Formats: sequence, C-alpha cells, structure tokens
Amino acid sequence: MVPDKLKPPIGVSIFILFALILLSLQLMSSATQESSELSAMYSWLLLVNALGSVVLLGLVGANIYSLARHTKRREAGSRLTARMVSLFVVLALAPAAIVFYFSMQFLHQGIDSWFNVEIDRAMEDALELSQASLDQRMRWHLRQAEQLAEKLSNSSETLATLELENLRELAGASEMTLFSRQGRIIASSSINPGDILPSLPDEHTWLQLRQNGDYVALAPVRDDELMIRVIVSVKTKDPQYLQVLYPVPVRIADLADSVEFAFVRYQEMNFLRNSLKLSFSLALSLVLLMSLLAAIWVAFISIRNIIAPVKELVKGTQAVASGHYDQIVPVLAQDDLGFLVESFNDMTQRIARAHDETRLAGLEVENQRAYLETILANLTAGVISFDADYKIRTANQAAYRIFHIHVNHFIGRSLLELVTDYSELAEPLKSIQRLLEQADDIWQQRIAFLGSNGRQELLCRGTPLFSQEGSRVGAVVVFDDVTDLIQAQKNAAWGEVARRLAHEIKNPLTPIQLSAERLQHKLADKLEVGDAEMLQRSTRTIVQQVEAMKEMVDDFSEYAKPSKKQTVSIDLSALVQEVLALYMARPGVKFKAAYEAGRLMIKGDPVSLRQVLHNLVKNALEAIDVQGVIEISVHRVQKNNADFIEITLYDDGPGIKEEQMEKIFEPYVTTKAKGTGLGLAIVKKIIEEHGGAIWVDASRRLPEMADVSQSSGSRCDKVGAGFIIQLPACNFEQL
Amino acid sequence: MPVLAAFLYCFCLWWSILASADEFGVVVKSAEMKLQGDSYVLAAEFDYQLSMRAKEALENGIPLYWVVQVKVLQHRDILWNKTLVEGTIRYKIQYHALLNMYRIKNEYTSEVTNFSTLAAALDSMSKVRNFSVIDKAALAPDQHYFAAVQVKLDRDSLPLPLRPTAYVSPQWFLSSAWYVWSLTN
Repeated sequence: MVPDKLKPPIGVSIFILFALILLSLQLMSSATQESSELSAMYSWLLLVNALGSVVLLGLVGANIYSLARHTKRREAGSRLTARMVSLFVVLALAPAAIVFYFSMQFLHQGIDSWFNVEIDRAMEDALELSQASLDQRMRWHLRQAEQLAEKLSNSSETLATLELENLRELAGASEMTLFSRQGRIIASSSINPGDILPSLPDEHTWLQLRQNGDYVALAPVRDDELMIRVIVSVKTKDPQYLQVLYPVPVRIADLADSVEFAFVRYQEMNFLRNSLKLSFSLALSLVLLMSLLAAIWVAFISIRNIIAPVKELVKGTQAVASGHYDQIVPVLAQDDLGFLVESFNDMTQRIARAHDETRLAGLEVENQRAYLETILANLTAGVISFDADYKIRTANQAAYRIFHIHVNHFIGRSLLELVTDYSELAEPLKSIQRLLEQADDIWQQRIAFLGSNGRQELLCRGTPLFSQEGSRVGAVVVFDDVTDLIQAQKNAAWGEVARRLAHEIKNPLTPIQLSAERLQHKLADKLEVGDAEMLQRSTRTIVQQVEAMKEMVDDFSEYAKPSKKQTVSIDLSALVQEVLALYMARPGVKFKAAYEAGRLMIKGDPVSLRQVLHNLVKNALEAIDVQGVIEISVHRVQKNNADFIEITLYDDGPGIKEEQMEKIFEPYVTTKAKGTGLGLAIVKKIIEEHGGAIWVDASRRLPEMADVSQSSGSRCDKVGAGFIIQLPACNFEQL
Repeated sequence: MPVLAAFLYCFCLWWSILASADEFGVVVKSAEMKLQGDSYVLAAEFDYQLSMRAKEALENGIPLYWVVQVKVLQHRDILWNKTLVEGTIRYKIQYHALLNMYRIKNEYTSEVTNFSTLAAALDSMSKVRNFSVIDKAALAPDQHYFAAVQVKLDRDSLPLPLRPTAYVSPQWFLSSAWYVWSLTN
C-alpha cells in the first residue's frame, strides 16, 4: 500500500481547495468595491476564477465520464453512485438556481433603482445652477474690469504702473497685469509678492481676445485653484490689455466642486449601469458556478468513499455466489457500513468453514462407500440391493460372476425387467422377486436353475430394509453359488458309499462263488440227472451273478478312487480321433467329427480322459440303437478370460427327459435296462477332477431328428442328447 | 460541433462589423530619435481617433489614461532582442462638466492643460518632443539598435465595472501597434 502513503490525505486537499476557492471569490468580491486596493488585481482574479471553474468543470466532467463508463460496464456500486450523485446534483442545483434567479432580479432592480428621471433632472439643474452662478459673477467681474480699464485709459505706462497696485486692491483681485498687444508685460501686481511672473493667456485666449475684444473665463490657474480670468482692452494710444484674475470665493468654489463631483459621479454611474450589472452578474455567476462545481466534485469523491465498502461488499457477494468463500472484504471505516462489512466477513468465514466441513464429511462418506464397495466387490457372494420399488440400487462384481450378466448396468430397473432380456435367468429372478415382495423378515432359500453353464444352485438370503419410522425402504439379497459345494458334498457321499460297498460286498463274494462251485463239484455226481442239471443251472446263475456283482463293485471302487493319476500334456483332438477310430467300424452309425486347426492341448490323465470319451460314445451308441448320427467337435473357447477346450457330442437318440436332466450325473441314475448308472457320474467326476465342467446341452436339436419327431408324433423320444465338456486349455508356455 | 462553428463564425462577423464601423484607435504617424547633446530624445506624432464608446465614456466624466511607451532594443543574433531602456509618458484626459472643458494632465511633467474641445485636447497629446530616452554612452557603436514606440490605452485604470467589457469589446481596442524603426548612431 505504498501509493496510498504517497497520496496526501484527500480530506486535507479538499479543504485546501475549498479555502483557495473561497479566498479567490472573496478577493474578487472585495475587488468589486471600487475603493479597494485589489481593484488592480480584478482582471487577474477574474481570470483565475474562470480558470478554476474550467478546472473544476474538467474534474466534474471526468468524473461523470468515468461514472458513465462504469455504469455501462455494470460495475459493482456504479448504479448506486449514479443515483446518489444525480440526487445530490438535483438537490444542490434546485435551491442554487432559485437563489441565483432571485439574486439576479434583486441585483438588477437594485441597480436600476439608483437612477431615475428626477435625480437626473436635479443633478443637471444643480450643475446648471452652479454654472449660472459663476456666469453671473464672471459678468460682474467683466464690468468691473471694464471700469478699471476706463480708469487706466489715457494714462501713460508709468502712471499705469503706479496705479495698478491701488486698483488691484480696490477691485479685490488677486492679480492684475497690463500688457501690450504683442504680449509684452507693461505692469503687473499680485496679491502674493512672490509671484514675479504673472500668469499669461495662452494662444487660444489670445485668439478669442482678438476676435471679441475681451475675454472672460473660469479656469484653474496654478495648483488647480479656480480663478476668473478677465481680459479687457485699454483704450490708449497703443492698444493695451488688462488682465485681472479674480479669485472665486472659497465657499462658492467648494460648492461648485461638490456639485460637479456629485454630477460627474452620477453621470459615471449612469453610464456604467449596464457594465455594473454585467460585472456583478459575472461575479455572482462565477461564485455560484464554482461553488456548485466544487460541491459536485466533492460529492463525487465523498459518494465514492461512501460507496467503496458497498462496492467491495457487492464484489464479495458475487464472489461468494460463485463459490469463492475465501473472500475477505477490507473494512474501510468503523461505521455502520464497516459493521456490515465485518458481519459479511464473519458470515463468509462461517460459510467457508461449513463448506469445508461438508466437503470433508462428503469425502469421508465417499471413502467409506468406496471401502465398502471394495469389500462388496471382492466378496464371493453376490450382493444386490433394492429400493422400496424393488428396483436395483447396487450390485457387486460377484453378482456378475454368478449370473453372467452385468447387473451393475441395470441400476434403476427391476428384476422383472431383466427377465425379458435374459430369459435363461427368468426362473431365479422371478423367485427372488417373489420372495422380496412376500418376505417381511430375513428369508433364506435355495434356488436351482439351468444357466448357461448348466445347472446352478444358488443359496439366497434376503433382508428387507426398514427406515427408522418402520416403512420399507428396500432390501438386500445376498446369494452364493453353491452348485460346486453341493456337488462336492454329493460326490464325497457317493465316494464313501462306493468305497464301503466295495469293501463290504466284495469280501463275501469270493467265498460265495467258491462255495457255489464246490457245491456243484461235490454234488454233481451224487444227484440225479434232473437235480444235477438244476444244480448246475443254479450254480452257474450264482457264479454269474457274483461275477456281475464283482464287476459292479469294481465299478464302484473305480468311481471312488481318484482318477487323475498322472498328468501329462494331451492333444485333445488327437485323443478324440484315437477313441473314435475304435467305433468307426460299427455298422449303421455315422460319425461327424470337426476339429479346430492346431493343437488343442490340455493337461490331464490320458487314461481317465479316454474312459470319459468311451463312456460318452458308448452312451450315444446305446441311445442310437440301430442307425444314427453322432456329431463330435473339438474347439477352443474363451470364458471368463480363460481359454478352454470344448468338446461337444450330440447323438440323435431319444434324448434326455427333462426331469432326469438335473440328476443325470448322479450315481445310480440310468435310463438303460442294463448298467450301473455310474457311467456319467464317473465322467463328471473325472472332468471335474481335471478342473473342467460337463453339462447337458438341452437346447440343441438335430435338424433331421426334428423332422422325424414331427412325423412320429412322439417329440421327446427323438430329440437327441448333447453333452458339452469344457476343459482348461494348456498354454504353450506351460508345456 | 457545427453549432460551435456557427457560433464562432457569428462572433467573428460581429467582431469585424464592430471593428470596421468607424476607424478608431491610435496610429503612430511618425517617430524618430534625435541626438540632443549627450542623449537621444524622442520626437513622435500620433493620431488619436476615439471610438464611440470611448467618447461616450469620456463625456460621462470617466477619465482615460494613455501611456506612450518607448523602448530601445539591442539586436542579438542568437538570443531575443535585449531591452536596454523603457520610458513611459502617461496622460490623463478627463471632461469637466462644470467648466465644459477637457483637461489633460501629463503625469510625467505634472502639467495640466484645459481645452474647450476634444479635438484640441487630443491634438495636444499627439505630439511628443524632446523626451529624453537614453544616453548616447549607453549605445555601443558596433551594435545594431532598434527603437519602438506605442501608445496604449490603460484599460486597467478604467472603472472596474467597465473592465470586463473593455477586455473583450473592440470598441476599447484603441492602443496603437508598436512602431519600430532602426536606430542609427
């Protein structure tokens, strides 16, 4: 704030300016009084004041211009300033104009009232009276002089010189001179003995004298003393002139002087009447103009000072409105406005603090939310929250993993709306929706459905959410994909059963078989033909059944023991071709095989996998019965960012019944008359031990079979069955 | 702007009409410096023509002051001319109503003269004789000198109310121009 320090205080400069204006105006006013010594400076004062007015006019003009520009730009506080200034100007101008008008009126009337016809007349009369009085005296003195000249006529120059003194004293003249026609002084007598040289007539007088023969005039002689000069001719041999100077009596001279002075003064005033009016009006106008201009200028400055805090306040308010809460308006004065500004600053600070707090709180909440979201996203369980209208509010990553749809993308939509887009999920979604609507408390339900990856089993747990007032505000559903878990449990149970069966049943089988054979061996010869035959038949039956039982128990033990004995890299297409080659010779069956180009490598036990393929192909052949087509394809697929090798196997047999589809991979489930029902269970077990999956592709129908089914009328029999196996592919780097 | 131009035009017109209504003002008819003894004396002749307004003022008893100014200047090549000496003779002319006379007072000699006509009074002011201006010794022989003379109406001595008008009205522009002549030694 260095410039502020350099600037002189504005109040002091205004005060000085006003003092100067007042001084100059006072001086001009004094100069108008004629007697004043300042009268000589009048012109300069007039000029200085006029210049002062011009400077003030310039200042006011500059202020008005700047104000107009600010108003046009709609700057803060400019309109208030404009309004206050115009109000001030109107308030100042109106009375000033009225006072000015009446002052001018009074001035003009006052000056005019000094003069009137009567005084004019009286003045002229007075002057004429004095002139007449002096004229009379002059004529009288002329006659007296003529009488004196008469006395002097016919007397010699010497005699005249002697008599002149007497005559002068007799006549009461102050000086008497006798001179010749050529102007030579013959004799002279003066009341003052010191005056050696008499006052001689000038050329003009001589001229008049020669024309008229005598001369009389009132003239100031020496020291401005009024004298009556009379010159008359003296009749002698040589024409001579007698000049007599009569003093005007002091009283008369004074009176005449006074009259003349008054007359001249009056004449002068009368002549100057208009000039006087003009100069007074000029002075008055200047005074008014300067005062007004100075007042307006000061008004500008003071209003600007008053408005300054308001202006700052407006700026501050605008800043706060646009979100800048760090605005501190400077406190310019300790008045009401200053208090207002302080309150404003206080307010903005509080707003800023509150705003900061809100922001921090928001940040905190956001952090919390992000934290929770991270936790939710990393949960293995799917979590979907709903609002009061059962529209999805949030859903985590796991929900996507389980449903294979981006539930996140359906925020704001209800589950039923999803059903139309994802028909395969219709069943679980509808169930969940129904449960949501019905449940008033925490519910838990196991929901099974056929997803794109085959049968899936979900464990859903729902919690309706209530507000503090008790109204329902939404719900949360948490669900786990328990398919694998349940399957593992089942597998473990069956494995245990198989192991026990193998153990418990296999042991007595051999003694049974041996005993039956010994019975046959011992009793065959002792019995009669009929009996022996029956024995043999029975024994054979026992042995056969025991064999079959053994076989069954072997199967069980096969199922129970881990299949993945040794792991090597296998080219799956080669393996499939190898297995298929064994069945090619079968009459009536047509194999359609499609292999993707390149090596489709997996890691696994070739013996187990070969068994899988044998089982599946055998199943298919059994389903086909006499004549049919088996389609096999091996190709690479991508799923969940991982490479899988997919084997699909379709037959055109009677297909799988819908009610069996869920349980087809469980042990002891079979549609065939012969068979343990362990084939597909083992297949599934081996595939799962290899980290893969197998499911029934219910959607696939062979085209030609569809035609047959239509003609035969029994739809279900001729649908054909399809299996899809997916095994994790082995990258070349892993080889 | 056109309004201002029109106003200026009218003003100039009025000015020229006022100025050319009748010829007035003082003209220096002749002026010379003569060596008289050891000093140069001025001999000059002027012609006074009063304007209507000035005559009117005079007849109403307002005294008019005239100043005869004479200067001797030294010519300088680079700088402005140097004023060596400046002499003034001041006259006061006033009408006396009581005596019906014009009185001239030479304030330089304090000589007072009365005239019954204005023409005679002005005539008496129109000649300047033997007004000693500068010593001969003050002038260097190798320098070039000028003399200048002017008769001025002293407007500052007019009565105050008349002054503002006198400053702007051509009726009161009565002063002569400077009459300049080369001074030969």
